[in-house]
This record gives sequence, C-alpha cells and structure tokens, in this order.
Amino acid sequence: MVDPIYIFVIVLGLAFLLSLFDKLSRNLSLFLFFLALASFVYISGSWFISLLSGKEELIIFTAGFKPPVSINLKMGLIEAFFTSLTNFLGLLSAIYLFRKFRAEAVYSLILYLMIIMGINGLIMTRDLFNLFVFLEITSIATYSMIGISSDLKSLTAGFKYMIAGGIASVFLLIGTIYLYRSSGTLNIDSMISSVGLLTTKTGIIALFLVIIAIMIELKPFPANGWALDVYQSVNSGVVAIIASGISAAMLFVLFKLTPLMNENLLTAVAGIGLATFFFSNLLALKQENPKRLLGYSSIGQIGLIMTVYVVLIKAGFIRDSQIVWLISGGLFLNHFLAKAGLFWLAGIIKKEKLSDWASLRTSPILLFAFGTFIFALIGLPPFPGFFAKWQLVMTLAAKGMIFWIVIILLGSFLEAIYLLRWLGKVLKREFQEKFAIHFSRILPIIIFMLLILVLGAYYSTLIFAGNNLNILYLPMLFVFLLFILDFLPVWIKNTLTIAATACYSYLIFPQLAGYKNIFGVIFLIGGVLLLIPGYIKKGKRMGFYPFVAMMYAGLAGLLISKTTLQLFTSWEIMTLGSYILIIRGKKSEPHALSYMLFSVGGAFAMLLGFGLLFSVNGNSLALDSLANVSQAVGTIYLLLGLGFLTKMASIGLHIWLPGAHGEAETDVSPMVSAILLKAGMFGMIILMSAIHSAKIGFVSLPYSLGWLGAITVFLGNLMAIYQEDAKRLLAYSSVGNLGYVLFGLALMTHLGWLTSITYALNHFLFKALLFLAIGGVVMRVKTKNMYEMGGLIKKMPLSFISVLIGIIALSGVPPLSGFAGKWMIYNVVLEKGWYFQGLVVIIGGLIAFLYCFRLIYAVFLGQLKDNHRQVKEAPIALLIPQYIMIFAIMLFSVYPGFILQPVGDFLKELFPQGALIWNEGSAFTQFGYWNGGLIFMITGGIFAIFFLLLFFLNRKAQKVKQFNIVYAAERPSRPELTHVGYNFFAHYKKALGSLSQPYVTKFWDTMSDLFHSSGDFVRRLYTGNGQTYILHILLFVLAVYYITFGG
Amino acid sequence: MLLITIFGFALIFIGIWGMLTQKNIIKMIIGFSIVDTGIHLVILSIGFRKEGTAPIIDATLSKAEAVSRAIDPIPSALVLTAIVIGLAVTALMLVYAFKMYEKKGSLQIKDFKELKW
Repeated sequence: MVDPIYIFVIVLGLAFLLSLFDKLSRNLSLFLFFLALASFVYISGSWFISLLSGKEELIIFTAGFKPPVSINLKMGLIEAFFTSLTNFLGLLSAIYLFRKFRAEAVYSLILYLMIIMGINGLIMTRDLFNLFVFLEITSIATYSMIGISSDLKSLTAGFKYMIAGGIASVFLLIGTIYLYRSSGTLNIDSMISSVGLLTTKTGIIALFLVIIAIMIELKPFPANGWALDVYQSVNSGVVAIIASGISAAMLFVLFKLTPLMNENLLTAVAGIGLATFFFSNLLALKQENPKRLLGYSSIGQIGLIMTVYVVLIKAGFIRDSQIVWLISGGLFLNHFLAKAGLFWLAGIIKKEKLSDWASLRTSPILLFAFGTFIFALIGLPPFPGFFAKWQLVMTLAAKGMIFWIVIILLGSFLEAIYLLRWLGKVLKREFQEKFAIHFSRILPIIIFMLLILVLGAYYSTLIFAGNNLNILYLPMLFVFLLFILDFLPVWIKNTLTIAATACYSYLIFPQLAGYKNIFGVIFLIGGVLLLIPGYIKKGKRMGFYPFVAMMYAGLAGLLISKTTLQLFTSWEIMTLGSYILIIRGKKSEPHALSYMLFSVGGAFAMLLGFGLLFSVNGNSLALDSLANVSQAVGTIYLLLGLGFLTKMASIGLHIWLPGAHGEAETDVSPMVSAILLKAGMFGMIILMSAIHSAKIGFVSLPYSLGWLGAITVFLGNLMAIYQEDAKRLLAYSSVGNLGYVLFGLALMTHLGWLTSITYALNHFLFKALLFLAIGGVVMRVKTKNMYEMGGLIKKMPLSFISVLIGIIALSGVPPLSGFAGKWMIYNVVLEKGWYFQGLVVIIGGLIAFLYCFRLIYAVFLGQLKDNHRQVKEAPIALLIPQYIMIFAIMLFSVYPGFILQPVGDFLKELFPQGALIWNEGSAFTQFGYWNGGLIFMITGGIFAIFFLLLFFLNRKAQKVKQFNIVYAAERPSRPELTHVGYNFFAHYKKALGSLSQPYVTKFWDTMSDLFHSSGDFVRRLYTGNGQTYILHILLFVLAVYYITFGG
Repeated sequence: MLLITIFGFALIFIGIWGMLTQKNIIKMIIGFSIVDTGIHLVILSIGFRKEGTAPIIDATLSKAEAVSRAIDPIPSALVLTAIVIGLAVTALMLVYAFKMYEKKGSLQIKDFKELKW
C-alpha cells in the first residue's frame, strides 16, 4: 500500500521537474503528467479497496511530531472514497483536455496537478489551518488555470471568482485564528473533543465564520452569481473539475466540520442548502445557455446534498452510518457523475443555445449518454439518485420531517422542468452543423455514463435487498440487450420484443390472481398485439425498442409489485419508457414535455404519499399496509390518488393527454391510449380496494371521485366533438372513457367495479382498434384533419369495418360489448342512488354518439377527395391486430359471461353484496336482466332486415357527384369550408358557452407563467457586476448570522 | 494587545469598504490587499504576549520557561503562510486586471457585465 503522502510529494516534485522535462519533449512531460494522475487513482483506489475489506484507517503524521503539534492527514474509508472519485475525475478530465494540454504551455499541466493535489489535501487534512492552505492552493491554481485563457468572458468570470474566493478566505482565516484562540488547537479532532471550549461568544462567532466561508465556497443562494459566470464561461474540462471535483472536496470539508456545529448552525446550513436547491432550480427555468443552466443545476444539487446530509444528522442518525451515506452518497454520486459528464458534453457541442444541442443526434452514443445524465439528475430509475431519493423520503417521513420532503420534491420538480425541456429540444429540434468528435473527448463521457449505470444497478440491489431479484431484473436486462442490439433492422427487434414480452407473460401469469389477470391481459397480451403494427416500419428505428420494452417492463412490474417501492420503481420505469415513445411523434415536443411533467409531478405526490404511509404504518413497505392506515388517512389517499389520476388523465389533470396521444406515431398511439392509461386505473384499484377494506367509513373521497369521474365523462366527450384532428378526437374520447372507469370504481359496489374492470378491457379493445384503424388512414392520406378526408370507404373498406365496429362498441349501443357496460351502469346508479351523477354520465354517453358519428362520417362517407384516388388499404400489419380485436369484441358481446363471471367471482371477495346472478347466459340484478347472446341475435336480425330493405329500395337512387353540390350565393372563403365535416358541432359550442372554454388549460398555463416569471424576476439579482456580488456575499453572511443567532 | 486587534479589524473594514465602493479594478485590488494586511495584524495580535520573548529555545530560554515567557509561535507561523498566499492572490488579481484591460480597454468593474442572470 502506497502512502497517500506521495500524492503531494509527486505533485510538488513534478511541479519543478515538468518544466525541465518539457524542454526535452512535450510527449515526455505529458507522459509523466498522466502517469502522476494515474498513480493518484491507484493510490486512493487501492486504499479504498483495502479499507472496504476491513483494513485499519491510516493517520499520516508530518514533520516527525504527533498532532496536535503537527499537521496530520487521515485516510479513512470515506476519505478514500472521495479521493478515489476525485482522482478518477482528475484523470478523466485530463484525458478530456488532452488536446488542450498538448497545445498549450507546460504551466497548465502543473496548475492542473496542483488543483488535484489541493482537492486531495482538502479531503485528507485534519488541521484547520492546513485546510485553509489547501483551499488556497486549489483556488489559486484554479484561478490561474482560468486566467490562462484569453477569452474575455472567462477572464471576467475568473476575476469575480477570485474576489468571491478572496472574501471567503478572509472569513475563513479570521474564523480559524479565533477558533485557535478559543480552543488552543488547530487540529480538528482535538477541537471536536474539546468542543465545550467553543461555547464562548468568540468561539461561536469564529466557528460561524469558518462555516460561512466554506458555505460561500459551496455557492449558496443568493451569494453565487460569480459561480454561475464561472460555470458558463470557463473551459468545460476545467469546469467539470470545479463543479464535481472541488465541490466534492468542499462538501466533504463541510461534513468533516459538522461535529463542531451546534443545533443552530446545523439548522442554518440545512436551511441555506434547501433555499439554494429551491431557488437555483426556480431561477434556471428561463435559462437558455446550456452551461449556465448546468451551473444552476450544479449549485442546486450541491445545496440538496448539503441539506440532506445535515438534516439526517439533525434527525439523529450517526454521522458515518450506512443510511446517511446511502442517501447522501447516492445523491452525491448521481450529481458528481452526471454533472461532469454534461459539462464534458458541453465542451464538445460548444453551442450557446439549448436547441442547438440537437446536433447531438448525429452521435447515438453521446445522445444516449446525454439522456442517461439527464434522467439520472431528474431522479428516475435505474439511477442512484432515484434510490437515494426514495430512501431519503422514507427516512425523513419516518422522522416526521414532512416540510423538508415537500420543498425538496418541489425543487426537484422545477429541476425536472428545465432538464426535460432541454432533452425535448435535443430530441426534436432541427440542427445545421455537426460537431467534431475526438476519441479523447468521448472516452471520459462514456466511462462516467457506464459508471452511473453500474452504480444504479448496484444501488438497486442494496435497496431491493431481500426481494426476488430475478423477476425484477429480467426485463431490465432485456432492455439493456436491446440497447446493444439497436443497430439491427426493425423486424428482428420487433420479433425479439414480441417474443420476450410473450415469454415474460408466460413467466408471470401464474403469479397473478383476480383483477390482476385482466390487467395482465391488457398489459402483456395487449402489448404483444400492439407490437405487431411495428412491422410496418422500415429501417432500424433506433431508440424505439429499448423504450417499448422498458414501458412493458414497468407495466409488468406493476402487476407483480408487493411493496410500495416495487410499485413506484415500476411506475417510474414505465413513465420513462413511455416518455421516449411519445416524444417520437413529429410534433410531440411540447406534448411529451407536458406528459412527463404531469407524470413527474404525480409521481412526487405518490412518493410523498408512500413516505407518509411508511411513517404511519410502522415503517412497512408492504402494499397491503395501505388498508391499515391509522393516521393522516385523507392525506395519504389523496396524494396517492393524485399520482394515479394523473396517469388516468382525469379532468383537471388531463391536459397532457390529447397532444401526447394524438401526435404520437401510428403504433404508439394505441399503446399509450389503450394500455398505458390502464396503469393509472390499476393504481386506483389498489387504492380503492384498500379504502374499501379499511372500512373506516372514509366515504368522502369515493364520493368526490364519483363526481370527478362523471364530470370527466361529460367534459372529455364534449371536447372530443370539437376536434378536427381524428387522432385528437380519439384522445379526448379516452379522457371521457377513463371517466367511466373512475365513476364505476368510485361507486364502491360490486356492480360498479364489475362495470369498471370489464369496461377497461373493452376500452382496450375498441380504443386500440380505433387508433390502429385511424392511424392506418392517417398514414395513407397523410393528414389527420377529418375535413381533408372523406369517402374513404371505397378505398379502405377493411379499416371502415374496424372503425364501425369500434364506434359501436364505444358508444354502447347494442349488440356489442359496450352495451353491457351501459346496462350495468344504469343498474348500479339506481342501486346506489347517485341520480345526479348518473345523469351527467348518461348525458356524457349521449355526447359520445356525436363524435362517433362524425368520425365515421367525415372520414369514410361523403365525397372522396381528388388527391385520395390512389389511396390503398392500410398495411396488413395494422389490419391483423385490428381483426383479432374485432374477433375478441364479438366474442365478448355474444358470451359476456365469459369475462363477467370470473371477474364477478373475484369481486365477491371484496363486495359480497349485489353480484350479478347468472342464469343460462342471462345476467340478473334487482332491476332486470340482460342476455348478451340474445341481444346480439335480435339486433343482428333487425339490422339484416333494414339492410336488405335498403339494398332493394335503393337500387334506383342517383349517385351524388362531386359537382352536384350548389353553393347558393355563398362562396367558401377557405377550402375546408366545402367539407360538411368541418367545424361540425360549432353550434353546440355556441350553445354551451362557457362550458366549452378551456379553463383547465388556462389554469395550468397561469401556474407555469407564475413560476417562470418569478424565476425570471429573481434572477435579475445577478447583475453581472462583480462588485454587486461582493455585496451579496456580505449581506448573505450578515443575514445568516442574524437568522442563526438572533442578533 | 487590544489596540493592534482593533487596528487590524479597522483595516479589514476599510479594505472591504474600498472593495465595495471603488469602481476601478486596481483600487478594488488595493482594497483587497488592505484587508489582507488587516488580517495579518489580527493574527499576530492573537499570539502576542506583553514583554514576551521570541519562542526560540536556547541558552536564554529554557523549555520550562518557554510556556510562561515566550510568545505563541503558531500565529507567527500562520501569518507567514498567510502573507505568502496573500501575495500570490494579489499578484494574480493584478494579472487578471492587466489581461482584462488588454481585452476591453477599461478598468471599470461595471464594464464587465457580459455574463449575468
């Protein structure tokens, strides 16, 4: 084992020798430089490994004396962990800067080594004055490194940095010397053991000054304008070191000094961190410059880590305990790797606008890395930040620290907004020029990307300990495989995905029981069916299959979840996958963003709900414990409900849906509409059955949900009739359809649930059918506007039949399966006595006729457009699943008992009262009976009679031709006005007046404006004047002092 | 040695005042160096002992006597380090001022506001 003191020896030696060797050859000095950096990685890494395996920690004495007389350094497990990371970063960033180092004078090599040495020193030293020295070494080397550049912006930023750093060292120095005076030592350990000596006024102020100096180095809000300038302007390789490396060292220094702090100071540090996290993210909302954006995000993340560590200690956890490091370490690693990676990427792209980063798409591997880092920062699985955040929320909730959780989640949400907006721009915007790719610049990024993935996997094993991992990891392994196989043509990947989904269904179906079987059918068998249309695509379709597989993996994970953690992880995996699927649509950028923001917001509500559940239920993660909530019942159920309802797009939370579903690709729309929406319903069933089993008379929530469902039916359907875009019409119709589902569940009776669950299956069938059929039409006619279609019945008869069957099933007229649902709804409304709600639902159902009619009329009937004379029938890969679904709808209509009976049997366990009574294919309730098969035959018979009648009577009718239409003294000003289907229900819109206004959209727009404009207002605080920043720092120090000690 | 301490702090405040009010970068740097000097005085005053002697243990100062008679050597040692560091930082600031003037032809701090918000 090499003594870590050699890190310092090597640097100090090389600092002189490098300039000599450089005279011989640049290659030699470069070789020695990299050798030195590699040796640091080796030294700290080998210590880390051996300390992990139980070796004793090392105390390094200097100058032949023992402390406190001399300075000592410490290499413990945590020091080894931090130095290993920062040294590794140092090596990689040097590789990244290789071309710069080769071109510039030898001094930058020396300065770089000094920075790395300073970081090592900051981490290892146990002496306060030595800490100051190492801080200055790091800072001065960094200032000089920045100063080498001849770019005015980075010079200005460097000067502001120096001034701020100078002020910080003034405080640090005065604080240090007075701490020495109070405690008689400069050794941190001796100070900790005699912490009683620091309770004098001088001691308290001195400690305050030291801590505040370190806080300033950690860029607290609002005294951080200078840091933003540095992040924005300085060379990316150097900034990676500043943002990840130096910040890591300063964080560690802060952690090192926490034993000295009293309760007041701890609270102050936690509060500053929290404010920094929240405000950085708020102020970043309007940011357009990528590196400055990353700066805001870095500052925020550091604030978060600081808060989390200190809050955990305040909550009574031991400083070095596993839980503290699991959480703060997870957040730290997440930030450390992602931020360095993103800054490196910034150096490659070299663009000043977020949207110009779209050129990343020319390099799939870098795009993948970018996505990885962004998702890691947002805190989605499978990255360390996700698991750390989960553990954090559970831990804090168990300690009752809800306030902290709420602000942290709010800040995280703000961060998600701008990161996702950026990702959306990268994925969708146009780009002109490519960027130059050099191996030395890409290698570090790839290494950090792999590291964050591996760490995520490792973290998941820590958190999931004790679960059956195979069943959880199998789908994710397949996702990973698909990423690797992404170069294959589409049909191979499609076949693979279908096979894998089928195999996995086979694997998990035996584990499912009751209603989960129905969802298994929808999620997995439905999944396989809806993958078939994928064969219409040619080429490679890069970046599609891994995410489809991810979405299905998440959905399958929901089915087998036994704990809240599993449910939440699956939920987020599903969200991530579906987001990428949705954003693939041509105009999907804003819609995918709003989908994702609603999802993230909903997920945070759920997370808080699960946290509260964890705290009131004796720290249990079991999903079953949802039924035994004793306290905070309403809050928990409400928060979870919010999360689930977001995915179900209930009115108020629905605005993401029309765009997301309407603009998605042909085969994605049915997936997200017919399958994904049911995930929200699945969650609601878990929640509502818990409420039911809890038997706490908690009736107000189901009652409100009943109204919410009814209104959703009404308004969803109403909005659908105004759409010109066929796919948006279907999307709005889904909002309404899911309203039925919610209404049925909210009834909390046997029949209500039976309706709801069978309706879910029904909705899957007809909505997938309609989306596929309309998708096929859109694909052929290349427009989604119904007024640009018409008369397609002759060109696409098979699609016509699909849509016809689909709308019959949807509108709930006999003889198809939708009628069963309607019949049961009427029964159950009577049974429950919810007449008003029932009326709203029924009117909503009537409105559905309007858009169903329009859909079939405007698209398939009427005049064929001239430019559609050559249109062909939809491709076979789209038709096959449609006809399978038609078959299923027919089957379900003739033999409704086939599904209703087993579901009913299961529901008897939950609701023994009010079940359907079956007698030879007829279902009886107290109000009447209904026989699916009989109705099918009767309706079929009537239909046949009229059809034949029409057929014979209509033979003499004259066909209307294109120019038989006469406009009486009316000249259409726009071409679409010649189409009868255009603005078809305008009169309803007029008649309904304010009911047709987009209030919900306005509400959310106002909310968004509020956040953006307040962020924009506050950020004007950063005037750009270096002198103002000095004032900020001084005022900050004074304010913190007065708040902490009350003057 | 209260007087020196007070002097030191006075210098620190004067320096900070200068950094806050002087618009010229060179004058701000002068302010910074006044602050630095103030700190050095404060540090020295901490270790001072009235009528103390240099902390060099030799024939005139035995080990036993050192505790009661010699001044505390640590602040003196620290101040040396602090002076060196202060020198480096001041020199570097001047280099920055020089380079910034070269680029922009101005030494007014308010002229360097390209980066903001």
